[in-house]
Amino acid sequence: MSSESHPYIPVLRSNLAEGKIDRREFLRTSTLLGLSATAAYAFAGVPNPARAQANMPKGGRLRISMRVYDLKSPHRFNATSASNIVRQTNDFLTVTGADNVTRPGLIEKWEVSPDLKTWTLHVRKNVKWRKGGDFTADDVIWNLKHVLDPATGSSMLGLMRSYMISEFETAEKDDKGNPKKVSRLWDANALQKVDSHTVRLNCKAAQLAVPEHLFHYPNSMLHPADGGEYKLGSDGTGPFELVELEVGKKAVLRARQGYWGKGPYVDTVEFIDLGDDPGPQLAAFASRQVDGIQLISTDLVPSLRNLPHAAVYEQTTAGAGVARVHYDKPPFNDKRVRQALRLAIDCQKILDVTMRDAGSVGEHHHVGPTLPDYAKLPPYKQDIAKAKQLLAEAGHPNGLDLTISCRKEPSQEPQLVQALVEQWKAVGIRVTVNIMPTAEYNRIWTEVPFGFIGWAHRPLGIMTLGLAYRSGQSWNESRYSNPEFDRLLSEAEGTVDLEKRKAVMAKLEAIMQDDGPIIQPVWNKMYQVFDKKVKGAYAHPSQLVMCNEFAVEA
Amino acid sequence: MPRIVFRRLVYLIATMLAASLILFGLFELSPESVAVDALGQFSTQEQRMLWLEQNGYFEPAYVRYFAWLGKFVTGDLGMSRVFNAPVAKVLVDRLSATGILALFFFATLIPISLTLGVIAGIQRGTLVDRAITLFCVITTSIPPFASTVLLSTIFVFSLHLLPGTSGMIDGFSFRELIMPVTALVLYDLGYVARMTRASMIDVMARPYIRTAVLKGVPYPVVILRHALRNALIAPFTVIMLHVNWLIGGVIVVELFFAYKGFGSLILEATLSRDLFLLEACTMTAVVIAVATQSLADIAYTFLNPRIRFK
Repeated sequence: MSSESHPYIPVLRSNLAEGKIDRREFLRTSTLLGLSATAAYAFAGVPNPARAQANMPKGGRLRISMRVYDLKSPHRFNATSASNIVRQTNDFLTVTGADNVTRPGLIEKWEVSPDLKTWTLHVRKNVKWRKGGDFTADDVIWNLKHVLDPATGSSMLGLMRSYMISEFETAEKDDKGNPKKVSRLWDANALQKVDSHTVRLNCKAAQLAVPEHLFHYPNSMLHPADGGEYKLGSDGTGPFELVELEVGKKAVLRARQGYWGKGPYVDTVEFIDLGDDPGPQLAAFASRQVDGIQLISTDLVPSLRNLPHAAVYEQTTAGAGVARVHYDKPPFNDKRVRQALRLAIDCQKILDVTMRDAGSVGEHHHVGPTLPDYAKLPPYKQDIAKAKQLLAEAGHPNGLDLTISCRKEPSQEPQLVQALVEQWKAVGIRVTVNIMPTAEYNRIWTEVPFGFIGWAHRPLGIMTLGLAYRSGQSWNESRYSNPEFDRLLSEAEGTVDLEKRKAVMAKLEAIMQDDGPIIQPVWNKMYQVFDKKVKGAYAHPSQLVMCNEFAVEA
Repeated sequence: MPRIVFRRLVYLIATMLAASLILFGLFELSPESVAVDALGQFSTQEQRMLWLEQNGYFEPAYVRYFAWLGKFVTGDLGMSRVFNAPVAKVLVDRLSATGILALFFFATLIPISLTLGVIAGIQRGTLVDRAITLFCVITTSIPPFASTVLLSTIFVFSLHLLPGTSGMIDGFSFRELIMPVTALVLYDLGYVARMTRASMIDVMARPYIRTAVLKGVPYPVVILRHALRNALIAPFTVIMLHVNWLIGGVIVVELFFAYKGFGSLILEATLSRDLFLLEACTMTAVVIAVATQSLADIAYTFLNPRIRFK
């Protein structure tokens, strides 16, 4: 992938050389445009963290504590833990690393047209399905069609809707006599097979983040013969084979011979389900029943650091706990109420009493400060008087009585909610907290009128905004719908020039702070722990685990 | 005796039918919510209607009840949405795990608590009795949610002697059973021992014991042959009731040690609203509760022929 086919790459290089952009911005954008990570890191003058690790021990068993959910429909996953099992057996087209740089996966390189509308994906020629047969362009097209089919119910549809999908009227009528609409690929040639190992995405709108979208966790490449279902015996291109699955208990994977990529170094990987409660996870790790924990509660970090065999890895992320309202329901459909909920909050104090050094201050717009498309706005300050005034103007001079729902785990979420509730009291917003069992809340998280939930890290702000706040998306839990926001989001997605994109992002962030449906007090750090005998371990900001990169010392 | 057994069987069936009616009313009378539970919150209205039609939910309620009951009786418990497996399989696995836990629990509890209770009872008022009583009060005062933490702190984090969880990931492991069984036994031991002690004191004061002693029967024979059988009636009932407690009441211990038993299954089924699994768990719990109660009643009449249930 040495080609510098996109005309903006030389601009990026000169901007970096002149100090107009930093290395992170250069690395992230140039690799999305098709420059290889190796070349990008070399030009930026920093070591490439994805280099092959020498002298990794071979063999052994790696045991990781993680929830083991039903894996029947990978393209419909809404939990990273489920995808962490399937990703060991079924690769992705691209791989976004812990450094947030996207590298080739099952496609060895990609090219994008200057207008960001035509993406050419070159499929690797040495990849074979475990049961035989080459991985080809047909497999890519089948998988992309499957995730983009509304009947599948994949969140990939939300990510790619703006540039791959259109709504078409059908002959059927709804109750009001209007034609019913269906969503499908905007053009018959939208997914084009160029040859046996080349696929072209012909998009209806410009989109910069296509390689990162291809790594969205429900987008693992399944064998078409499996029809979108995953079970014991399902075919895959990945480094492991699933040999045992007991939902709620464990998943066992055995290393595959002749894997095309890095590793695998261990013979078997076991994901062990110890439940949601962090206590058993700590006890199992302390007694070395597991070699790692996929995602640890911040409460456990000090205890884990005290264990002599523990190596705790942390990542600053763009993941966050977000309190959100249903934008279309009273009293939240009044912008002044939403503003009052934000103005009542002193984010620094919330951070100080809850996450401390396990997070950073939020700005109520859900675009992480570590992301290249983040635009810095003036600090959002608490303003009690203005919040009270807005409430009075909205017809609530005596304040409001509300109920916020949240889940029990991770434990920082109810803690954050409690801190928010205390600050809302100052403006007369009296909020009752409804802490629900985690599994129950996960079932209805989009349904509660006023709720709090953690959003995982995504490598670009436009990805989070597109998933969570674009009108009509399945994960738009706040039911936010703002045509101007949608228009600006599409514009940002199609703007390659960093300065111009940041200018659009600034507008989006301002809309979120002014009109948006969320109160976002903090950003989360993410922690994973591994036994020191596990080599090659690291924490991925999106809570992903790629076991082919890990080895276990005897 | 056969009449008693027959009567208890009729009682068992009647109780289960009543429970099944309540269950059906609670879970199945609202087909819409059944469809949501079965297909998940992201299912479309069209999918829900299709599912309801395919599964006969547009039939009258009484037809659905008898169909549901018929399937249940023949072991067709449906599919678990969360586990993506037949409910019967999940249920058998988890009941087996709880059975193992119960076996080791009773194998530890019964000899220790009865021995302590008998010793305390026949040595009433002595230092030994008081020491046993103090021990029993202390252990019974520590509920499992506290004793689990205490045991874990000592044996996992300080002494590094025992595994921290009991998931039996690599198959049966006696070492993994030690802490959950200990936590349960500690909580219950004092209760059964105190009950045995009181019963023993009561029996030892009876005239027939005094007569046996005055006749010159050796003291150990008096205890073992004459006193113990009568003294065990009350503890036996308590122990039988513990079967129910072990089935559903040890959720805290199962969760703390990540033991995959029936208690944690009920909790998971409830939290995730896995309808068919929840129905099966509830019915199983009812069966076990009624069956153990009936067994206790029958055994009662065996232990004490003077007792007859009218």
